[in-house]
Amino acid sequence: MAASLARASLESLLHTKKLGQTLTNGRHALGAEREQASTGHAGLDAHLHGGIPRGHVSELIGPRSSGRTALLLRLLAAATARGELVALVDALDMLDVESAAGAGIDLDRLLWVRGHVVPNPGLCRDLNQRALVQAVRALTLVLEAGNFGLVAFDVGEAPAEAIRRLPFTTWLRLHRMVEGSHTVCLLVGEGRLSRSPAGLTLHAPALRQAI
Amino acid sequence: MYACVYAPDCRATLSGPPGEPERLALKNVAQQFSPRYETHGDLVVIDVRGLDRLLGNARTVGEELRREAAERDLRAHVAVAGTQTAARVLAIAQPGLTLVEPGGEAEALAPIAIDVLGKIADRDQRSDCPEPRAPSPEPRASISAFKHWGLKTLGEIAALPAADLSARLGQQGLRWQSLARGDDDRPLVPDVADERFEASLDLEWPIEGLEPLSFVLTRLLEPLSIRLERRDRGVAVLHVHLRLVTKDVHARRLELPSPLRDVRALRTLALLDLESHPPASAVECVTVSIDPTPGRILQHTLFTRPHPTPEQLSTLLARLGAAMGQDRIGAAAVVDSYRPGVFAMRLFATSHSAHPAPPAPPAHASPALRRCRQPVPARVTIDAGGRPVRVTTDRRGFAGGSVQRAAGPWKTSGEWWRSAIAQGAGQAGGAGWDRDEWDVALSDGGAYRIFLDHLTHAWFIEAVID
Repeated sequence: MAASLARASLESLLHTKKLGQTLTNGRHALGAEREQASTGHAGLDAHLHGGIPRGHVSELIGPRSSGRTALLLRLLAAATARGELVALVDALDMLDVESAAGAGIDLDRLLWVRGHVVPNPGLCRDLNQRALVQAVRALTLVLEAGNFGLVAFDVGEAPAEAIRRLPFTTWLRLHRMVEGSHTVCLLVGEGRLSRSPAGLTLHAPALRQAI
Repeated sequence: MYACVYAPDCRATLSGPPGEPERLALKNVAQQFSPRYETHGDLVVIDVRGLDRLLGNARTVGEELRREAAERDLRAHVAVAGTQTAARVLAIAQPGLTLVEPGGEAEALAPIAIDVLGKIADRDQRSDCPEPRAPSPEPRASISAFKHWGLKTLGEIAALPAADLSARLGQQGLRWQSLARGDDDRPLVPDVADERFEASLDLEWPIEGLEPLSFVLTRLLEPLSIRLERRDRGVAVLHVHLRLVTKDVHARRLELPSPLRDVRALRTLALLDLESHPPASAVECVTVSIDPTPGRILQHTLFTRPHPTPEQLSTLLARLGAAMGQDRIGAAAVVDSYRPGVFAMRLFATSHSAHPAPPAPPAHASPALRRCRQPVPARVTIDAGGRPVRVTTDRRGFAGGSVQRAAGPWKTSGEWWRSAIAQGAGQAGGAGWDRDEWDVALSDGGAYRIFLDHLTHAWFIEAVID
C-alpha cells in the first residue's frame, strides 16, 4: 500500500514537472494531449505513432549517407505543404538548394540560416567551433521568435568533439524554449545529441528499413 | 446637405491634370466652410450640414462658396443638394449656382442630358480621381447602350425598371441609374490633412552607449505608436537622427519590410541597426521621424496554425542579420543554370499567405546532397578504363577508401567563354567549368559525388549523398 502511494506521489510529481512522458505508462496517459506533426509519409507516421511531437526537441541521427538529409528535407517539405513556416539552421552551410526544391519544399517558407564555415582554419582551430556556437545562438533566436512549424538544427557533418564541447546546458535551454509551443525542434547529427523526455530519436538507417 | 464646387478652368488651362495651385485653391475654399470635404482633382464635395445657423440658407451658402472661389481666381460651378452625387452631377452639368431642396434630387437631375455621364466617366477614369464612383470597366459601353435605346436625359435612365436594366447591363447599369437618380452609393470620405509623425528629445546630459538610448527611443516611440494606431497607419520607414556632442548628426534610415507600429519591435530594430552603425560620440538630442503607410489588415483563420507575425519576423531577421551577417540568412532560390551547386539568396518575406500553394510533387527522385561549398581536394586512383577505384583525402572527417560502386561519368561544362575572356585579359582563373562527375560508394560507408576538374586536372569531393 505504501509502495503504491509512493509511486502515485512520484508520478504526480513527474507530471507536475512535465516529465510524465518518462513514465512507462506515460504514452497512454498523455497520448491524447500530445500534438504531432505529420512527416508526410503514411508509413513513417504509422511507425512513429502519428508523427513527431510538437513542443519537444527530437533528434534525427545516423551515419553519413544513411538518408538523414533526405528525411530532413521530406519533413521540411511536409511542413511547408501544411502552410507552416520552417527554419533550417545549417551550422556547416551544406544545404543543397536543388535537393531541397526537388524534395518539394516551398523555399519561400524556409528560413535558411547559413553558418560561417572556414574550409581551412589553419592554426585557428577554434574558428569552426565558433561557427557552431554562433549557429546555436541563431537557433535560440529562431525558437524565441516562436510560431515556426519546424525548426531544424543541422550539425550532421560536425565533428563529434566539437559538439561535445558545447555546454550541456545548451540543450536544456532548448528543451525549455520549445516546451509548450507548437514547434517541432529537430536536431540532426551523426550521433546522439539531445532530446526532450517526450521527444523522439529518429535513427535514419532503422527508419529506412521500416518504410 | 452637400455642396460641390467644380472648377472647369483647372483642366482647361492646363495640359494635364489640374495643377497643384488649383487643387490647393479648391481645398482652401472647402476648408473655409467645413473640415469635412473630399477633393477629386478639379472638384470638391463639401458637407455643409449645420452651416445654415452660421451663414444662412442653402442659397447663401452657395453664394458664399462662389464668392470665396472667385477671390481665389477660380471660375466655379457650385451646386448644393441633399446628396453628394446630385451636387456633383449638377455642378459638372450646369454653370453658376444650382440649388436643390432635399428630396428633389431626382427631379432636378431629370432634364440633364445624358452626355454628362460621358464627362463623369472621363473624370473617374483619370488618375487624379483617387476614388472612382462610376464603374471603371467599360463605362462607355453602357452609355452607348443608353443612347442606342434612344434615351436622352438622366430622367429617362432613372425611370427604367431596375430589374430589366440589371439583366441587360449588369451592376454597371444599376450604378448609372443610381447616379441618374442622385442616390449616394457611399458616404463622404473626408480628406485628412497630412500629419507628421516626429518626436524629438533634447537630453540634459549626453548619453553614450545603446542601453540608455533604448529608454529614450521607447519614450519617443510610444506616443508616435499611439498616434499611428489612431490613424490606422504603420511605419514604412523609420528615421533616427542623433545629434552628437560634436554637433554632427548621425542619421539612420530603416526601411521596414512590412508596416509595423509595435514599440518594442521598432525599438529593437533601431537598436540593432545602431549596434552595427554606432554613433561616433555621445548623443545630446534624439529625433525619431516616421514615414507612415496604411496599416495591415489581417484576417486570422481558425483552421491554420498562426505564423510568426511580421513584427516577430522583422525583429528575428534583424537579430539574425546582426549575429550571422545579412548575407547568411534568407530564403533560398533555385537559379536557372546548369552550374553545379549554384543558388541565390533572397530576403525572407515577413508576411506569408495562410494558404500555401499546392505542394509541388518532387521533381525527380534524386538523392539529397550535402554540398561542400568549397570542394574538398581528393586523391583518386583510377583503373585502366578511367573509373575511380580509390578515393582518399587529407581533410579531417573524410576518411575515404576503396570504391565499392561507382556511377558516371556525367560530363558537364559551361560558361567556357568566360574562362577564355579571363585568360585573354591576362586574369587568373575564370568562371567556366568542365568536369566529369561520379557518384561513388566508398568502403567507409559513405556515398559521395566526386568530380574531375578538366581545367585543373584535379579531383574533388563535391557533396555527400545522404
